[in-house]
Amino acid sequence: MKTTKTIFQDGNHKWVAIVRDPDRPDFLIDTNEYLVTHGSQGLLLDPGGAEIFPAVFSALSSEFDPLALIGVFASHQDPDTCSSLALWLEFNPKMRCYVSWMWAGFIPHFGGSAETFVSIPDEGADIPLDGLTLRAVPAHYLHSSGNFHLYDKAARMLFSGDVGAALLPAGESGLFVEDFDAHIRHAEGFHRRWMGSNEAKRAWCERVSKLEIDMLCPQHGAIYQGADVQRFINWFDELQVGLCGG
Amino acid sequence: MAWAQQARNDLLRIVRINEEIKAIVGVAFKINIMALNAIFLAKRAGTAARGFGVLSHELRVFSQDLRDSMVGLTRLIHACVSEVSHVLQDIRQTRLLHQAVESSRDRRLVEVLAERESRNAEHAQHLIVLRKQLKRALDDAFQLVELGGMLAKSAKIEAAYGQSFAASLAQVSGEFDGVVEEIRTSLEALRRSAFFTGR
Repeated sequence: MKTTKTIFQDGNHKWVAIVRDPDRPDFLIDTNEYLVTHGSQGLLLDPGGAEIFPAVFSALSSEFDPLALIGVFASHQDPDTCSSLALWLEFNPKMRCYVSWMWAGFIPHFGGSAETFVSIPDEGADIPLDGLTLRAVPAHYLHSSGNFHLYDKAARMLFSGDVGAALLPAGESGLFVEDFDAHIRHAEGFHRRWMGSNEAKRAWCERVSKLEIDMLCPQHGAIYQGADVQRFINWFDELQVGLCGG
Repeated sequence: MAWAQQARNDLLRIVRINEEIKAIVGVAFKINIMALNAIFLAKRAGTAARGFGVLSHELRVFSQDLRDSMVGLTRLIHACVSEVSHVLQDIRQTRLLHQAVESSRDRRLVEVLAERESRNAEHAQHLIVLRKQLKRALDDAFQLVELGGMLAKSAKIEAAYGQSFAASLAQVSGEFDGVVEEIRTSLEALRRSAFFTGR
């Protein structure tokens, strides 16, 4: 089973990271899921692949009533982000899936009906959560052509999908980045190859630099906090991406 | 796991049945052309081959009936593929829900699993019905081909009365008989497919 770690809390406003499953087979990439709760509602960010549904569900349900989930936010269309959708909908058919308009016709192949999907336009959108407003921030071409991150202004948290992701070697399973220079080596190859556009990267760095962010939470690897957030944005801004090492 | 293996085997067996049906459709088309040629030949032979001509016409009708029958079988095969695919999906979803029930303390998941298992049972039942329908349709096709075989054999007899055309008519009716026998053998094998017997 995965473990849960509350990474932000202000009353009933919480961010819970669902991470590090010791039983996960090695051939599946490790993923981080994030639960945002406010009042009586919750939103699950990149709920993960079908194979890890049991681990995510049991971890989440130990923290929060899964029937109170209003939906999932899918940063993009990859199977590791949301192929568990059909299983979540079996438990709670009223859940919605917030996703780029580009993938609203593709992700139903994982499950769901016409009512399930809420298309996010290219410029982004607000997502209400029991009185709280979350913002879907454009991150197109990073790496998917229809890609969004989720910003919680009140918590100063940014869910950054694959941006900031690191492929950590076995044995390095810390939840937070502790040594930025050592950590970023595990992120470099991933960003060079997975991120397709320097122009899009530049626009994203400019966009998020204007946001107040205490934690930058990627879908893979460790969370950047404090000064490491800006350090990461600067590093990413300098990095040449869209390159194939081979 | 035995359930999953059974579903995978079912899918393989249905695919094999479908391949065989496709081959029969090709042969049925061949019979149609052969029958058309036989009708022209009978016309040339005149009154001596009147009976042969009637039988050739009947064989042409038979080839159309056979193609219609294969269309029906293909439709049923597609329905079976769809249902087995549902069953394979059910197996995966059920396995993951079972794992979630085992690791979660949320007892409501047990109800979700029960609903899922009830839907699985519906799919399994639907597959049983389709399996029976497919078997019945194959039996009907087999009966039709038996009739085709009788027509081909009668054509062989009629060919003997074809006077100067007897040799050509005998050759054509022999080809009919060979082709219909080929289809009969295929259908007989399909009726014994492990998809129906489970062995």
